[in-house]
Amino acid sequence: MEILIPLAILPVAGFIACYFVHNRKAQYIISLSAAVVHLACSYLIFAEIIIPAESDLFRFDALSRLFLLILSHVYFWILLVSYSYLNRPAMVKEEKSKKFFFAMLNIYLLANTLALISNHLGIFWVASEMTTLSVAPLIYYYRDKESLEAMWKYLFLVSVGIAFAFIGFLFLALSAGKTVLEGQQLLVSLFTLHAKQLNPIWLKASFIFVFVGLSTKIGIAPMHTGDIDATSNSPSPIAALMAGSLRGTALLGVLRVYQIMAPTSTAAFARSIMIIGGLVSLFAAFVFMFKVNNYKRMIAYSSVEHLGLITLGIGTGGIAFFGAMLHTVFNSLTKVVLFLNAGNIHKAYRSREIDSVWNVLQNMPWTGWLFMLGFFAVIAMPPFGIFFSELMILQGLLSRPLLLAAVLFLLFFIFVGMSRNVFRMLYSNSPNNHAAAIDDKFEITHFTSLVLLILLVILGITMPPQLHSVITQISKDFGILL
Amino acid sequence: MENVLSILFCLTLLYLVITARLKTYVGILRAQGILLSVIIIFPFLRHLSVHILIIPLMSLIVKAVIIPRFINKIIIDLDVKRIIEPNIQPFNFLLLSVASMSVIFIMSHVLSGYTPIETIPFASAFSAIVIGLLLIIFREKLIVHVVGFLILENGIFLFGTSIAAEMPTIVELGALLDILVVVFLMGIAVNKISSTFTEQKVTVLGGLKD
Repeated sequence: MEILIPLAILPVAGFIACYFVHNRKAQYIISLSAAVVHLACSYLIFAEIIIPAESDLFRFDALSRLFLLILSHVYFWILLVSYSYLNRPAMVKEEKSKKFFFAMLNIYLLANTLALISNHLGIFWVASEMTTLSVAPLIYYYRDKESLEAMWKYLFLVSVGIAFAFIGFLFLALSAGKTVLEGQQLLVSLFTLHAKQLNPIWLKASFIFVFVGLSTKIGIAPMHTGDIDATSNSPSPIAALMAGSLRGTALLGVLRVYQIMAPTSTAAFARSIMIIGGLVSLFAAFVFMFKVNNYKRMIAYSSVEHLGLITLGIGTGGIAFFGAMLHTVFNSLTKVVLFLNAGNIHKAYRSREIDSVWNVLQNMPWTGWLFMLGFFAVIAMPPFGIFFSELMILQGLLSRPLLLAAVLFLLFFIFVGMSRNVFRMLYSNSPNNHAAAIDDKFEITHFTSLVLLILLVILGITMPPQLHSVITQISKDFGILL
Repeated sequence: MENVLSILFCLTLLYLVITARLKTYVGILRAQGILLSVIIIFPFLRHLSVHILIIPLMSLIVKAVIIPRFINKIIIDLDVKRIIEPNIQPFNFLLLSVASMSVIFIMSHVLSGYTPIETIPFASAFSAIVIGLLLIIFREKLIVHVVGFLILENGIFLFGTSIAAEMPTIVELGALLDILVVVFLMGIAVNKISSTFTEQKVTVLGGLKD
C-alpha cells in the first residue's frame, strides 16, 4: 500500500497545492516534481525493481505495469511543455482557464493511475469516469463556441458510454450466479481464476456492453465522434495527452474483461467483436482521411486508425497480440510528437484548416521537419517503432488472407489521404505570394519531439529486453503462447 | 415490498413519458431518488447500523436533494420555457415506451428461468435505462438530456441492487460523487451554451463535423 503514496497521494497533494497557490511557475514546479516522482516510480515498478504488495483492490501485473509506464511517460513530457504553452500570447478568454490547468492535470494523473492499477472493476469504473471529469474542463480551455460544443459532446457521450460499461460490469456479476463467485466482489484476479465456471451468455453480453461503452473513450468507430471533436478542439498538450494515454486507459478496461473471457469458450466471440470494431475504425479513418480539412481532426482520425489496428491485433491473437501491445507504446509516443507540432503550426498560422496553412517547411523549419518525421513515424515508415509493431500485427493476420487484404487496402489509402494533406501543408506555396513572418525558434516542444522520435527509433530497433519480457508476460496472462 | 417499490418506480417512468412540463421532471427525479434510497435500505431493516446507513443516506441527499435543486436552479436561471418541445408525437412516444417496457418485462421473465435475477426490479431497472436513452434521443432541450442521463443512472443504480452485486462502500460513494460532478459540469455547460448560442437545443450544436 505504501506505493500509493507516490502514485496517488502525491497527485492529490499536487492538486491541493495548485488550487491554493496562484503563481503559475510555482504550480508548474509542484506538478512537474509530482510527475517526475510518478515517472520514476512507474519505471521502477515496470522494471520490477520495486515489487509492490498486491491487495484486493490494486494489482501490478504486467498489463498494469506497461500501461502505467505509458501514462507516466506521456504525462511527464506533456507537463514539461505545458508551462511554455501557457506563456504563449493568447486571447483574453483563455487566461481564466490557465488558473486551474495544472490542478486539473494532477487530477487527471490520479484518476488514470487509479484506473490502471485497479483490480476491482468498480474502482476502474469510478476512476475512468473521473478521467472524463478531469479532462472536460481542459477541453474547454479556449472558451469559444467550438470548444464548448466539443466539451459538451465529449462529456455527454462518454458519460453515457461509461454508464453502458457499468451495465457490462454488472452483467459480469450476473454471470457469476450459481458458481463459487456468487456474491463476490468484482475482482479481476478472482474472476480470471474461476473464469471457466462463468455463465457464457452473460459473459458475452457483458463484453458487448463494456466494449461499446468504452469505445466512446477509446475512439473505436462508430462511437468515435465525441473523441474526435474533443481532441481536435482542445489545446495541443491536452490533445496529445488524450491521444497518448486516455485512450489507453479505456482500452485497459476492455482488456480486463477480455482477460476474464480468454480461458473460456466465449473468447472467440470477444475476438470477433474486436476484429469487427477494428475494421470499422479503419474504414472510418479511411473515409474521413479524404474528407477532413482540419489538420488536428486529421491526426485524431489517425488515432482512430491506430486504436482500430490495436483492437484488431488483440482480436487476432498470437503474434498480432504482441504487436498490438507494442503498438500501444509506439502510438502513444508518436501522437505526442504530432499533436505538439500541430499546436505550433496552429499558433503560427492561427487556423486549423489545412487550406490556410502553407509552406510550413520553409516558414517554420524546426516544426516542419519534426512534423514530417512524426508523420513518417505514424504511417509506419522504418526505422520508427510503429513499422515493427504494425509488421507483427500484419504477420498475425497472415493466416486470414481476406482480412489481411482488407487491412492493407485500408492502410494504403489512409496513407495516401494523410500524405496528400500533410504534404500540402508542408510544401504548397502561399496563396498570395507573401512570406509569412513567423519566427520559429528551437523551443521545448521541439526538444520533446526530438527526444521522442529518437526514442521511437531506438525502441523499435533494439527492443529492450525489459519491454520484451513484460509484453511476453502479458501475452502469457492472456493465454497466448508465442 | 421491493417489488412494490420497483413498480412505483416504473410508474414514475410512465409519468415522465407523458408529462410535458420541466418542473414535473424535477419532481420525478426527486421521487425516484427517495424510492431508490428506500429500496437499498430495505434488505437491512432488521439489523441497522451506522455503516449500512451511509450509502442510502448519501444517495438520498445527492439524488433527492442536491441534484433536483441544482436542475431547478438552472431552469429558473435560464428562464427555460417550462414546456418541453418534443420532436415526436406524445402519443407515439408513450406507445414506444410502453412497447419497450413490455418487451423488457417479458424478456426478464424468460431470463429469470436461467439466472437468479428478481424479475420485477431487474425489468424496472432496464426500463429506466431504455427510457432514459429514449428521452435523450427524442427530446431537443439540453436540460432534458441531462434529466434523461440521470434517469439512466437511476436505472443502473436499481439494476446494481437487483442483482445483489456488492460494491465496497468506497466505490459506491465514488460513483455517487462522480454523478454529482457530471451533473454539475453539464449544468455549467448548459448555462454557457445558452449564453453563447441563442437556444439551448441540441440542434444548435452542429458546428463540428467533417
